[in-house]
Amino acid sequence: MGIINGLLTTIKYALQSPVTIQYPEEERVVRERYKGKHVLRRYDNGLERCIGCSLCAAACPADAIWVEAAENTDDERYSPGERYAKTYEINMLRCIFCGYCEDACPTEAIVLEHEYQLSFTDRRDAIYTKDMLIVPVPEGGLPTPQKVEPGTFDRAIPDMEDPK
Amino acid sequence: MSEVTIYIDGQEYRVPANTNLVDVAKFYADNDIPVFCYHPKMAPVGMCRMCLVKMGSVEKNRETGEVVTDENGNPKIRWFPKLQTACTQTVYDGLAIITNSEEVQVARDDIIEFILTSHPLDCPICDKGGECPLQNLTMRHGPGQSVFYYEDKMHLDKHVPLGELIYLDRERCIQCARCTRFCDELVGDDVLAFHERGRRLQIVTISDPPFDTKFSGNTTDICPVGALTTADFRFGARPWELKEVPSLDPYGPEGANISLSTRLDRDAGGRIVIKRVMPRQNEYVNEIWISDKTRFGHHHTRSDERLTKPLIRQNGQLAEASWEEAYQVITDRLRAAKSLGVIAGPNQSNEDLWELKQLASHVENHHLGVFPATMSGGDIVNTVGVGVGTNFLDLKKGDVIVVVASDLEEEAPIWYLRTKVARDRGVKLVLLNARPTKLSKYAKYNLTYAYGDAVSAINSLISAVIGAGKINDEILSRVDGYDELAKSVKKPAYTNFTEAAEAIGDAQNMIVLAGSEGLTLAQQRELMQACANLLIVTGHVGRPNNGLIPVWHGANIQGAYDLGFTAEATEAIYQESLDVVLVAGCNPVGEVVEAEALQNANFVVVTSLFETETTAIADVVLPRQSFAERDGTFTSGERRVQRFYTAQGVIGESLPDWRIFAEIHYRLGGPKPKLSAGAVMAEINKAVPSYAEMRYKKLAEMPRQFPDVGGEDLYYGGTAYQNRGGIGQQTPTVAEDPEARLSVRPVEAMTPKFDGLVVIPTTLLYDRGVLFRRSTLMHQRIPAPHIVINPEDAEAQGITDGDTVAIVVEGHRYEVQVKIDKTLPRGAVLMPRRLSNRPDPSVPTVLESIEKIVQPVPVTEG
Ligand code: SF4
Ligand code: SF4
Ligand code: SF4
Ligand code: FES
Repeated sequence: MGIINGLLTTIKYALQSPVTIQYPEEERVVRERYKGKHVLRRYDNGLERCIGCSLCAAACPADAIWVEAAENTDDERYSPGERYAKTYEINMLRCIFCGYCEDACPTEAIVLEHEYQLSFTDRRDAIYTKDMLIVPVPEGGLPTPQKVEPGTFDRAIPDMEDPK
Repeated sequence: MSEVTIYIDGQEYRVPANTNLVDVAKFYADNDIPVFCYHPKMAPVGMCRMCLVKMGSVEKNRETGEVVTDENGNPKIRWFPKLQTACTQTVYDGLAIITNSEEVQVARDDIIEFILTSHPLDCPICDKGGECPLQNLTMRHGPGQSVFYYEDKMHLDKHVPLGELIYLDRERCIQCARCTRFCDELVGDDVLAFHERGRRLQIVTISDPPFDTKFSGNTTDICPVGALTTADFRFGARPWELKEVPSLDPYGPEGANISLSTRLDRDAGGRIVIKRVMPRQNEYVNEIWISDKTRFGHHHTRSDERLTKPLIRQNGQLAEASWEEAYQVITDRLRAAKSLGVIAGPNQSNEDLWELKQLASHVENHHLGVFPATMSGGDIVNTVGVGVGTNFLDLKKGDVIVVVASDLEEEAPIWYLRTKVARDRGVKLVLLNARPTKLSKYAKYNLTYAYGDAVSAINSLISAVIGAGKINDEILSRVDGYDELAKSVKKPAYTNFTEAAEAIGDAQNMIVLAGSEGLTLAQQRELMQACANLLIVTGHVGRPNNGLIPVWHGANIQGAYDLGFTAEATEAIYQESLDVVLVAGCNPVGEVVEAEALQNANFVVVTSLFETETTAIADVVLPRQSFAERDGTFTSGERRVQRFYTAQGVIGESLPDWRIFAEIHYRLGGPKPKLSAGAVMAEINKAVPSYAEMRYKKLAEMPRQFPDVGGEDLYYGGTAYQNRGGIGQQTPTVAEDPEARLSVRPVEAMTPKFDGLVVIPTTLLYDRGVLFRRSTLMHQRIPAPHIVINPEDAEAQGITDGDTVAIVVEGHRYEVQVKIDKTLPRGAVLMPRRLSNRPDPSVPTVLESIEKIVQPVPVTEG
């Protein structure tokens, strides 16, 4: 009996359509919540969301993120508020794509997107710098640094709602 | 100290009387009462209400005085109807508090919620975030939801420079007044104040230049929020990313304990560098304070101009070479050396000095000098220096601090601060100087003498002490030479010192801080002896909190004296033309005119961090390591031997000085170089009796300190760091041995007679020294080269305030600005050291000529 059951299972699977795909000719569409390579997002006007707070680096269990901050001025503004990330690096060899950084970020600047095709031929290339992570300037926005009116972007954290 | 019984959360504790409730609850009951405005180093003000507790008194039977107990045998307590602030309460017998009831909890939650109504909570970009008292207490007590309207938050300026060093974020300020009280009450610099009232209340600076105090950085430590930040560290790193390394102030004689916050830095090519300097608690030395020079003067450690390779002079040019080549050249030359002069810089560690001495012993005719050679008498300090266990904080009402020939605020700011605070506790300050200094307004007795006449002033004081019958008879049995001394001071030069002499005679404890302003080296040595005489005949030696503290111009001059280096030898090196000269970590040629003579030496070896005027005359230049790259020990003016530890990576091929000297010595036939600074210290322990106990392990010992700051409860003492590197150990003085004979010796005043104006070199805290000038942030605080002159003298010379003049001193011409000071005695022209890029006179010298440089009149608009 046992042998027949085994054969039946084999035949059943042999008749099913394959679950594998012909990568790289064919690419799988990932789930909405898939965690791939990070991006650093911008506001609509082009200002960077990241304020260089290093909370992502603190949250990261793999110690993959390195942030160095500097001070914004109204003549050279990268992000709202006083602080921006002068250096932002993620070592993709260390990252375990857990998404803790995304959770930690107070401005929703760092987000794990769907890109998963990461390969390098040198360890150094695995360190993605700010230029490689930041999204392009959205339409209608300006690149950073921007020269802005004094007093317009002097707070880093978006305003809160009043209690209901 | 008498003790009282108090009850905290039902537990009974025996605590010292007359102490603050918050302090003792923390220290004895491990109960951290949250505070914002209270600080253990300042008088309570009760402004923030964070420290509310339920308070009451134990009921006592009025007749018998016995504690009334309830049926369970517990003391019966009469509670006050409302919660009370703990910080304004001094403990008394029978005091009872409850800190863990729901009532207290709710009150604390409410206070936090109230404080947050006008607080931005922008912790992610706030430099305090991660070590913020408010953030921590918000996590503990803060409501998840507030009943207040967000729109109602007060929005104030977020970027207000209070001067170029400190920035203020008005929105984050919670109005605790710690910063204003620190400047105003503790330091005595009235530079910050409150402006407006209520939620609009703001901190403003009311001085010109803004925030004009030498201690401004400390306000950022004690600020319980991120309202005050330093320009040096702003956005530099998050506190949790920093590695704290215990270290020591490389500049001053006080031995201030610091913590170097280090982190990797991309701008420094991925090296570990110092991101900021923080105080480290040492209640014996600097408590939790450091001067701005210590805090912001660390940039030389990461400068791009640091020397990275040995340099050897070839065909007149210094060219890079390997260590081996450099050693070869030096050893070849030293083997043939007829005489050797060694000049050790102000922050050569004890280990460096020891190896340097071993090396020098290879050449029979050698001199061991220190730099700067402004002061002498290290041996006198070893006889009558302050006793082991001395702490300025232990000086009480009626005790005396004498400061002679020193502008303490400029020369040793930590001692200035501690002296000022001691005076606030009732310690009488006796100031002897030729001119008023910033300390004068706190002095009980301002005794003025003519420049150069400090010895007669002290002699007059001794004379007055004898006259008032205040000689300590007990000690006289151990003293040799008293009669001659008494005879020598029979005719005092100053006769109005009686009151001060009485205060000295009546004082239980007395500390004398002796400086060198306006004195030649020989006069200074006599001053040290005169101070020793005064201390001995009044019995103020050989005990804690009594004795002499020299205001050295450097971090380890005391160590240099202990190991056999002297300023007199430095003078000899300048005067005699020696065959070989070895300059270790200093720049004599660029700083004092006398050192020009070093050019005449046949062969000059220099260890240095940077290219200097001295390396320019050198035949071999060796790159040394700064205090941050290595470990070692310094000995402070209070003879406290303390350790500093390795904080950052090595720059280039530089080596610690001790290693360099040991390698050279080895090649000359000396022993194999030791592997660590600790091993060198072990040698010193064996060879130098007073250092026998100064073992590294012992120096690193860390007893618990009161108040207990730097723990998890940052709201209590601020962000000053807990001491993890040890509090060090004082070397014993001769006078502490009860068997030892003490000798006093009459000293003659050697007042030089000058005709006309005399240039008096003075020392300012902020100067253009080789190390300090690399901190560009501080440049605004370094004054332009100038002289200070009395208005009448100025008028006689036809110059006025702000003029630029050319002066000639000993054949050297300087272009300097003129500052008029009417408090200055006539005839004296103060010339602060190291302000120009030219060497200055190091001792009082006749001013040869002074002449106004006529400049084109600026066209005024209007
Ligand atoms: S996804 Fe996880 S491991 Fe990767 S950088 Fe973010 S926190 Fe670190
Ligand atoms: S990505 Fe977000 S969490 Fe990371 S530094 Fe930038 S703002 Fe902070
Ligand atoms: S002061 Fe403290 S609570 Fe306020 S924003 Fe800064 S870190 Fe947060
Ligand atoms: S009122 Fe007690 S700490 Fe502020």
